[in-house]
Amino acid sequence: MELVCVGLNHRTAPVEVRERFAVPAGKLGDSAKQLLEIEGLAESVVISTCNRTEYYLAGEQAEQAAAELRRRLAATHGADSDPHWYEHHRISAAKHLCRVVSGLDSMVLGETEIFGQAKEAYRQALDAGATSGVLNRLFQRAFGVGKKVRTDTRIQEGATSVAGAAVELAEKIFGKLAGCRVIVIGAGEMSRQTAQALVSRGATSVFVTNRSFDKAEQLAAEMGGRAVHFDEWQAVLAGVDVVISSTSAPHPVVLPHHIESVRRVRKFRPLFLIDIAVPRDIDPACGDIEEVYLYDIDILEQLADEARTRREKQIIECDRIIDEELKKLNLPGT
Amino acid sequence: MDRWFLIAATALAAVGGIAGMWSVHKGVRSPWTVIWMIAAFAAQIGFLSVRGEARGACPLVGLGEILAFLAWSLTFFYLAVGPAYRISLLGVFTAPVVVIFQGVALLPGQLIADPPRVPGTDAWHETHAAMSVLSYGALALAAVAGVMFLVLDRQLKDHHLKSGLFRNLPPVRELLKSTVRLLWLGVALLSIGVFAGFMMPRQGGTAHLIAACAVWLSYVGFLAIKQLRGLTGRRTATVAVLLFLVSLSVFALV
Repeated sequence: MELVCVGLNHRTAPVEVRERFAVPAGKLGDSAKQLLEIEGLAESVVISTCNRTEYYLAGEQAEQAAAELRRRLAATHGADSDPHWYEHHRISAAKHLCRVVSGLDSMVLGETEIFGQAKEAYRQALDAGATSGVLNRLFQRAFGVGKKVRTDTRIQEGATSVAGAAVELAEKIFGKLAGCRVIVIGAGEMSRQTAQALVSRGATSVFVTNRSFDKAEQLAAEMGGRAVHFDEWQAVLAGVDVVISSTSAPHPVVLPHHIESVRRVRKFRPLFLIDIAVPRDIDPACGDIEEVYLYDIDILEQLADEARTRREKQIIECDRIIDEELKKLNLPGT
Repeated sequence: MDRWFLIAATALAAVGGIAGMWSVHKGVRSPWTVIWMIAAFAAQIGFLSVRGEARGACPLVGLGEILAFLAWSLTFFYLAVGPAYRISLLGVFTAPVVVIFQGVALLPGQLIADPPRVPGTDAWHETHAAMSVLSYGALALAAVAGVMFLVLDRQLKDHHLKSGLFRNLPPVRELLKSTVRLLWLGVALLSIGVFAGFMMPRQGGTAHLIAACAVWLSYVGFLAIKQLRGLTGRRTATVAVLLFLVSLSVFALV
């Protein structure tokens, strides 16, 4: 019995290559079943996400089958892709799957989405009857290892993006973000990402203001929020919990007196100011107001950097857990 | 025997606090603090039972017993409202206060060895004493939550976000809500205590009752301002801590 993983990912192939080999989310089981037509192959699972397409193959002659698969892929999708493929054999294939499921092979180290995507790919292969003893055991163990890695290490700890860091801080201030009200000043890409991240965690009532009202309306529609004219945003300030500012103004837009004027109305509730503009949009003196927590782009980027570094330091520990768990597996083909 | 119960309760709370601080330092959450505090609570009940049996009344005679009862009340509220917080961390902040109260109670001269029975117990007097000390437990926990807020507020303001303490502290808004809820609970209990104080037969001077009324008025005024006008989190927490510390002086007049 042999075990092989054939794949390409964000590290080995650019997006224009990856997109050619992407398998639609609903077709993963069918694709795995089709592979069993290749001689010497008994089992297969196909994982396909925006960052990778991988084939897990098991059979008496899985290594030959892998070569045949690559020939077929070259014939149907173009031979120029060949340098982008990698292969892992036996225990290395098992280890690779565990690393993928644990988020160690992801673009954002430690991300959790891949776990669900791999689980779905395996479920479809199982339903299609494309798996049996070896891959069933391997995938089930890999999911167990993935959970253990995430539980026993800090690989998921801290946000690795500016938007993620802002959301973590918002949760430290407000707890659950359900019901939190947000105003976005300046409808740029960074504000969109940050506001989107807050909305995905439950923030409601998003107000968007921009010098060009069309852009504000566009972003507000995207967020399910409301556009506000640029000369009216101060009226909204009394009711919001979070201010995200990212305009291209050459001078501060949010000044201490704007906040001072609404403190009584707000009953001095905490206010989180996120300044992701350069030059800065929010006067640093706003941070001196007692209930205001002010964070600018430098601090948020520093937080994201630190989280990335912390996660990278966890890789050795994660690999140790994976090796330890795989030793217990004693799987044919590894 | 009673003294040993109190010593055990103090030691258990100290161990719980130290274990909690250690886990916070390591950046992990541990359920052990609450377990140590439950054990300390059991020992406190042991102390109060033996003492209450000897007194034939609620054991609230003298500073030692009052402080021990107060420590029990604080632990009780911590265990009752703890699940609303990240439980072990509230314990980390509560345990030292319990240790201080009980440590003072254990000082020589604070607890007489063979407490005499309280002659002619009166229901209003018992209610006054028990409710007042119980209210102080809630007000003490509000002060503890206030301290937690002040620590978190400082860390957020200064962007010092790396410590295990920061990671384990509950969110700002939850801490403030809990502080205010505990203040309301404490004031409600204190209201019953003060009312019972007016109903009980007078013994000696009225300085203690006047001080209790002043404390009650201060808390009611503070909560009214908070409710009607609003206060920043920092002021709310600072006043909760300061008022509690000042209000402890009432016990000096018992």
